[in-house]
Amino acid sequence: MSAAVQAGAPPRRTVRPRRGAVLGARRLEAALYVLPAAVLFGVFIAEPIAANLFSSMVEPHGRVGFANYAVALADPVFATAIRNSLLWVAVSLACEIAIGFALALLIELYLPRGRAVFRTLLFLPMVITPSVIALVFNTFYASDYGLLYGAFRAVGLADMFPSLLGAPATASLAIIAVNVWQWSGFFVLMYCVGLAAIDRELLDAAAIDGARGWRRVRHILWPLCGGTTISLVVLGTIQALQQFPLIYLMTEGGPADSSQTLATYIFQTGFVEGQMHYASAIAVVLFLLALALVAIEYRLAGGGFSLSGKGAGRG
Amino acid sequence: MAEPGLQRLALAILIAATAVSLIPTIYMIDISFRTANDSFAPVLIAAHPTIANYVVVLHSGHLARFFFNSVGVAAGSVAVTLFCATTLSFAIARLKIRFSRAILLLVLSALLLPLASLLIPITVLLRTLSLTNSWIGLIGPNAALGIPFATVIIKEAMTAVPDELEEAATLDGAASLTVLWRIVVPLIRPALIVVAIWEFLFSWNEFFLALVIMTHNATKTLPLAPLYYQGPYMTDPGKLFAILTLIAVVPMAVYALVQRWFVSGLMAGGVKG
Repeated sequence: MSAAVQAGAPPRRTVRPRRGAVLGARRLEAALYVLPAAVLFGVFIAEPIAANLFSSMVEPHGRVGFANYAVALADPVFATAIRNSLLWVAVSLACEIAIGFALALLIELYLPRGRAVFRTLLFLPMVITPSVIALVFNTFYASDYGLLYGAFRAVGLADMFPSLLGAPATASLAIIAVNVWQWSGFFVLMYCVGLAAIDRELLDAAAIDGARGWRRVRHILWPLCGGTTISLVVLGTIQALQQFPLIYLMTEGGPADSSQTLATYIFQTGFVEGQMHYASAIAVVLFLLALALVAIEYRLAGGGFSLSGKGAGRG
Repeated sequence: MAEPGLQRLALAILIAATAVSLIPTIYMIDISFRTANDSFAPVLIAAHPTIANYVVVLHSGHLARFFFNSVGVAAGSVAVTLFCATTLSFAIARLKIRFSRAILLLVLSALLLPLASLLIPITVLLRTLSLTNSWIGLIGPNAALGIPFATVIIKEAMTAVPDELEEAATLDGAASLTVLWRIVVPLIRPALIVVAIWEFLFSWNEFFLALVIMTHNATKTLPLAPLYYQGPYMTDPGKLFAILTLIAVVPMAVYALVQRWFVSGLMAGGVKG
């Protein structure tokens, strides 16, 4: 409509005063396009972040200060939660990237046909509701009637069957394994997309230069998927930090708080124990931990967060 | 392409990996077809399958109500996310507004927010606004959290639309809204489909917010059903697993139907994240 006004105004003299008005109209118009997202962002993201920050500073007797953070520092469960959250990020990412990249290589480079079948089937766990998955794996891990117990019994090791979810040493890892099972297919798919985007001529040139087998993977394909890797690392970090339903429905953070993460501990302190201000302080820590981890990962990768598929993936 | 020996080895590894990945799903479906006598057997596939569990669970409880709520919340979340992310991307990529880099950076930074860190303030806010136990109470946060990822993908696709097409239409006197709807949206359809599928899966499966916001049985969504039925069917896993299978079948069916577009949309956009 602004352009229509311009097009319908032949005399040159009138252009200058009008351009100001047109620009103003364009700005207003652009603002209208930004408005819906901005409102949602303001109400459901910016306001909550600010409210959370304020809430975390409210002390038991209504004073303002850092008492909630001081309590957290002395709280052994909080320490466990931090440790477990870091364990979640490290183990999930290591497994998902290794499995995802390896299977994607096999699919994209060694399969003459049927690629889509494997990509689709491997992705399937990813779409299943996590609360459903939690209950399926509760039965899977169960002593005496679970499928894993059945496997142990079949090879004559029934007596040695471990109660994975019931032991503090293994509870977190047993749930992380479920998370890896669910998300690996996503990593496979993303690496397939990344590998498919690599220039074939580049690979041919590398082959002529003698880059084959493991050397080709290590020095050509892995670096060329760098953009995919850093994106997946960031995404996987946030995903691991916010995982809730699996832990809540499989161990409720137990036994004896041993599988508590920051996400479940926020729920535990805020909604079960009703200490909203303390939970807010933990939420702020989680928020800062996510930022710190991503900053470190970004630094380690030497920048190059690529969502365009053309950035670090090629250059 | 690699030599035949390596191809066969790769195929064998992939079949093994896929089998392992499918076992829990097969296990879930099989338990849902078991008789009460078989339901505690530690095997992958039990003998004597029956559909009795489905007959019982489909005739009882709130399952239909939960399903209805899930459809409403997911449809609303997808619609709002698509609308907001498309208009925002248009302003950034095509109208080239001022501060567009800053806005994009702000949006990107929201990708780094773990939902758990916003759970309490969002709940407090929704209680203040009397939006707990309402679809809007879930659609709002779902969309707000979905917009960053959606904007990244849609903005990327819009940047790839040739300027000439838009300029031609603008010279013909088309309003920006017409340009967006008639020219840009049809061209970026693959990206919109990727976003719609992603947002559908996210909002359909979302548990954490629903748990604290949907406290009435009449407003609960399907991800809360496992928690709801866990107690009553503790001694009858066949029926519990029939419910679990029914919940899981919806996103699996949707994905089976649309995965072709999802994958080709990802490949076409060269989206990596």
